[in-house]
Amino acid sequence: MDVLIGAGVLAATIRLATPVALAALGGVVTERSGVVNIALEGCMLVGAFFGVFAADRTGSLPAAIAAAVVAGILLAAVHALAAITFRADQIVSGMALNILALGLTSYLDYQLYSTTGTPSTIPLVPNVHLGFLENAPVLGGAIGDQSAIVWATLAIVVLLQLFLFRTVPGLRLRSVGEHPRAADTLGIDVRRTRYWAVLASGALAALGGVYLSLSVAGSFSDNMTNGRGFIGLAAMIFGRWTPVGALGAALVFGYGDALSVSLQGVKVAGVEFPVQLLSTIPYLLTVLAVAGFVGRSRMPAADGQPYESEGH
Amino acid sequence: MPSMKRFLAFALMTMTVVAGCGGAGTASPSPSAAASSAAAVPTVAPTATAKAVKVGLVTDVGGLNDKSFNALANQGRLDAEKDLKVQTSVTESKKQEDYVPNLTNYAQQGYDLVIAVGFLMTNATWKVAKQFPNVKFAIIDGAPADDSGKTQNLPNVANLFFKEQEAGYLVGVIAATMAKNKVGKATHNTVCSMGGIPIPPVDRYIAGYQDAVKTISPTTTILNGYSNDFVDQAKGKEVGLSHISKSCDILFQVAGASGLGYIAAAKEKGVYAIGVDADQAYVAPGTVLTSALKRVNKAVYDTVAAVTTNSFKAGDNFFSAANDGVGYGTLDAVVPADAKAAADQALAGIKSGKITPKDTVQVK
Repeated sequence: MDVLIGAGVLAATIRLATPVALAALGGVVTERSGVVNIALEGCMLVGAFFGVFAADRTGSLPAAIAAAVVAGILLAAVHALAAITFRADQIVSGMALNILALGLTSYLDYQLYSTTGTPSTIPLVPNVHLGFLENAPVLGGAIGDQSAIVWATLAIVVLLQLFLFRTVPGLRLRSVGEHPRAADTLGIDVRRTRYWAVLASGALAALGGVYLSLSVAGSFSDNMTNGRGFIGLAAMIFGRWTPVGALGAALVFGYGDALSVSLQGVKVAGVEFPVQLLSTIPYLLTVLAVAGFVGRSRMPAADGQPYESEGH
Repeated sequence: MPSMKRFLAFALMTMTVVAGCGGAGTASPSPSAAASSAAAVPTVAPTATAKAVKVGLVTDVGGLNDKSFNALANQGRLDAEKDLKVQTSVTESKKQEDYVPNLTNYAQQGYDLVIAVGFLMTNATWKVAKQFPNVKFAIIDGAPADDSGKTQNLPNVANLFFKEQEAGYLVGVIAATMAKNKVGKATHNTVCSMGGIPIPPVDRYIAGYQDAVKTISPTTTILNGYSNDFVDQAKGKEVGLSHISKSCDILFQVAGASGLGYIAAAKEKGVYAIGVDADQAYVAPGTVLTSALKRVNKAVYDTVAAVTTNSFKAGDNFFSAANDGVGYGTLDAVVPADAKAAADQALAGIKSGKITPKDTVQVK
């Protein structure tokens, strides 16, 4: 039973879900405003690299996180420029930026750290030790020693859910993604709202990248995000474009990943469980969600559509 | 907009297919088009003897910056360029579909020797080498394999194999000695290993490691796992944390960049790790006890040298302890003298043929 719901598996689920959840939250913000940003993968990757780079250069963790977030915002800004101002194809722009991010980070890593790797002495994001949970069964092992970014992610989920569905600016953001023409006639600046949303998505994804490099690995390696930006988009769809739903979906995906570790070597009816199959869970669930098998899943009405105001 | 949904469904299904191979989530242009257009171009004759020998190296998806396998191959190329006065070039493969076009590109340009780095390129090497019988090829960790995966040796391809089990055995001796004597933080008499994907060159390392532990310290518990990935550090770390929770305190990684996550788990939890392929002492001083060395650089260098002296040998070429093709790396200060002595004794035994490390994994 421990391999299915033990403290170790639950802790691993949370660790593996966190970067996916952050990318998914970025996806929720940007798509709710009507801009598809598949460059989240690239934003994560530049976040992962520049986090390590700044940590190495400054020796300061806050500076490292700030640099990573700025890098993610800058990459997202290019996407915003292409998608919002120039009304370019959002998929093409996003994909181009992903390739750019992969090439840029591996080039810089090669130039700066090719022989010795990124330094092993850089400051890392600390874990939060919950002493009072130390002797609690399951719970203590599952959440008693998680990265500070895990808790930050949880806070962001709650705040973002409240922001989008309980505040006026949140309503405006959603209206821009549902019916930009109507929002425009009511005096909402569609472009500006969308710019802010895309930049925020870059920042959130970059935080996911920082989590991978400065909390999980303690170093940078080529393509270390390994498709988590895309899995994040899948979690966003599976979570029906809401922050809480996205977190739930990320946890489901993370659980699949965690099982692929804990079920290794476990025999089911005398046959070793094929753990490789578990890594297909996110994709299968997403295909089901996209195909409409998992409840109603409706994207924002104007998602991915460039907006041209009447004045132009 | 339905196109977003369609795109995602398509992208995710594509990724499902490549997920098992550790593929990156980037779009792929049509490689078959590149390959077929290449096939139409006639074979270029080898360069005249007066000209410098030209050597092209094609990395696998790990890229030049893996600080391990591909990086070592590139080091061998650079050394050869410096010492042997040859002209060299390198191409990185970003995805598996790049292998055939990248190899074809060098062959077409009249390179004398084209080196494919890695077991994953056996089929691509077979395809391209067959088309260019006048160009010499070398493949590291494999032999040309046809579309059904069957080995088909070719008269213009050198298969560069390593006896990874010997390197695994040497670090296994060090791990077993420390586990048996409960040195430092190795207090639970349990040692572990993690491979990337269970392919022969990975499993040979693990087989030798386990063989040494069973020989030196039969009471030591052995665990093994796979990250099913060569890129993803987070997955490697999860396997590491899982092993450590099962009392492992010496962790041997054979998983490329994914293995760096396995080492990160050892570092975080204050236990020991062992690096692979390259000397990884720098990754985490105080954590990395030593590394199982596979001198890919030497294999590349020797093969280039063989081409310049017309002693190129097609078919299987083995790099082992006997010809310094494998060994163990820098020892951390915590490794006691008796562990080093035991490793050196094992090295001498392997060289003299007294010890033949097993090459099949016993504890899966």
